[in-house]
Amino acid sequence: MRANVLQATVEKRGLVFDPRTKLLLLIAMTTFVLGGAGQKSGFGGIVFSAISVILCFLPFLLLLAAKRRKAALRYAILYLAMYVIFIFVTPQTRGILNFFILGTSGIITRFMPSILLGFYVVSSTTVSEFTAAMQKMHISEKIIIPLSVMFRFFPTVGDEFRCINQAMRMRGIVFGGKNMSKMLEYRLVPLLSCSVKIGEELSAAALTRGLGGTVKRTNVCEIGFHMQDWVVFLLCATAYFMLILSKFGVL
Amino acid sequence: MIEMNNVSFTYANTEACILEDISLQIKEGECVLLCGGSGCGKTTVTRLLNGLIPHYYEGTVSGSVVINGLDVTKAELYETAKYVGSVFQNPRSQFFCVDTTSEIAFGCENMGLESPLIKERVAEAAEKLNAVNLLGRNIFQLSGGEKQKIACASVSAMEPAVFVLDEPTSNLDMPAIGDLRRTLLAWKAEGKTIVIAEHRLYWLKDICDRVVYMAEGKIAFDIPISAFLEFSPIKIRELGLRSLSMEALHSTKPPSYGAEEFTLKDFYFSMEDIPILSIPALTLPQGSLIAVIGENGAGKSTFSRCLCGLEKGFRGKVLFHSALYGRRKMLEKSYLVMQDVNHQLFCESVEEEIRLGMEGENKEKIKGVLADLGLENLCQRHPLSLSGGQKQRVAIASAILADKEFLIFDEPTSGLDFRHMEQTAKLLRSLQGKKTVFMITHDPELIVRCCSHILRFKQGRVAEFYALSKETEGKFFDFFTQS
Repeated sequence: MRANVLQATVEKRGLVFDPRTKLLLLIAMTTFVLGGAGQKSGFGGIVFSAISVILCFLPFLLLLAAKRRKAALRYAILYLAMYVIFIFVTPQTRGILNFFILGTSGIITRFMPSILLGFYVVSSTTVSEFTAAMQKMHISEKIIIPLSVMFRFFPTVGDEFRCINQAMRMRGIVFGGKNMSKMLEYRLVPLLSCSVKIGEELSAAALTRGLGGTVKRTNVCEIGFHMQDWVVFLLCATAYFMLILSKFGVL
Repeated sequence: MIEMNNVSFTYANTEACILEDISLQIKEGECVLLCGGSGCGKTTVTRLLNGLIPHYYEGTVSGSVVINGLDVTKAELYETAKYVGSVFQNPRSQFFCVDTTSEIAFGCENMGLESPLIKERVAEAAEKLNAVNLLGRNIFQLSGGEKQKIACASVSAMEPAVFVLDEPTSNLDMPAIGDLRRTLLAWKAEGKTIVIAEHRLYWLKDICDRVVYMAEGKIAFDIPISAFLEFSPIKIRELGLRSLSMEALHSTKPPSYGAEEFTLKDFYFSMEDIPILSIPALTLPQGSLIAVIGENGAGKSTFSRCLCGLEKGFRGKVLFHSALYGRRKMLEKSYLVMQDVNHQLFCESVEEEIRLGMEGENKEKIKGVLADLGLENLCQRHPLSLSGGQKQRVAIASAILADKEFLIFDEPTSGLDFRHMEQTAKLLRSLQGKKTVFMITHDPELIVRCCSHILRFKQGRVAEFYALSKETEGKFFDFFTQS
């Protein structure tokens, strides 16, 4: 069976971050790169574009550190290509072509870093690390358990989806085939029925192992902040500090 | 240790009584086999023991189920979980974590044990079940047998007094069953009480102390294993049970050779530069039923996906009727009936389902196929509302009507009792001569009932290919008994 993209492997981890650090980084990324917060001109403009460049560079580093070289390289190449197009090609074109190129390169340079970081977070965090982090943040079990089930379910749904896809191809239900209009329905019906069944069996298994008891759950997973976490923390803190400064008109 | 007194049970929303007045006493350290055909109520008994009935699967229970002094029909599930550990049928859907170490720790974490103690228990359980090499792995990348081992270890770490297993070998191959056997022996040596509901019996001969045979929700007999082993093969068959030993199996019919042949060419496939499949050329008889056997990871599933044209980047060809079929043509001409048939039923009615892949309208042909497969009366039903065997038949009907030449079955009889297995075998036999059928299976009983040829894989290569006959029977059984 092929490795699923959305699941954390414990075997070859590389550099490990605390899930809370990853969450903070994700928020910073969406604020400054996706949301484009901060000033656009003057000295502040330079500061915020520097922050955004550093943040965009981070998914590449993190993926490298997590030993996902292929994904890291693909990201770097695509991002740089789009960035170059955005800066150098867009001013040269006009009309619809300009509109089209500006749109694609603009959207990709803005969205891709956040998407890649999201991919990194999901693929590098195990369920137990995630629950441990949530517990440390004092979030209620009522929220933690459903969320951790969701984490557990991603790869399962992926597996099911792949099987159904294969079955559809064998029946000639493909793009450009004769039953194209029904592709969504044909995919969803078995996906739902299989997921419901697995979910039911999963809950039964979890209940017979004592999930939902009155005692406080222990978690053997050790998480904590290390050097690498502080570096990321410092970076995010600086970014937000700058944002506050600029709001007060200091920068 | 376990005391069931006059227990009757009816599932909510149904009329039929699943269990009727069951009384069963099991002493500490005893290992009891629950057997009987599908729907006899043995799974229901296991669910009563681990408390899933009536707390998770709802219904009306009368009588009492007392384990270690605790009435599990009244106690909360997490209380019962301390005394009763459960292992289920499907290895895919009984783990909660994504990595093995946290999974083994999961039950102990729920009990709120201290962290160092949990670590100790995890190490101990892994050691005991010979699963140390599996620690710290991603569960999604384990084989079915390895997953089942982790499920056992996870339960074992909680150190319950009673182990309840519900058809644990349904999805396992021979070496994995061997592993499970060793696990049960280890538990037994510790004096644990074991209750196991199973179809396959031969591997339990020297583990179980008692055999409880159930029929229609009642206990038909409850005898020591020594008396059970004296039953003749004919009696076992009459009871609708799987064979007790390999020796009872014999190839039942002479092999038939298809007159024509087809050739697989350049069946090479690698994943991430690791060669998985390597068959330069292989000539096979057309219209035969070929059993594809071999250990887990020998390349059987990759072979079937390549044959169906499902692997992009696969360059092999099939020489069929002097035409060379490429990957796309094979996708048109072959059909894989998956282990979980639910993945391949898309439509709202059986009729719509089987017409999906058809070219043009041909009422006569549809009628004929429906009659052949005994589906006439189910035409308007929703495919997902059918039983497992019926679903399988719908999948076969749709493949026949879509004019497929090659049918590939992935474990068609996993988890089936004797009667249903025989039905499937009959169904597969009826395809002989019409379609070429490949069958990936770990079920020797199924093979001797319907297959004409054996194709054995080893490390991605064809280890041997032979027609199944009186002369070749020996090496066939050797493969299944060696583990």
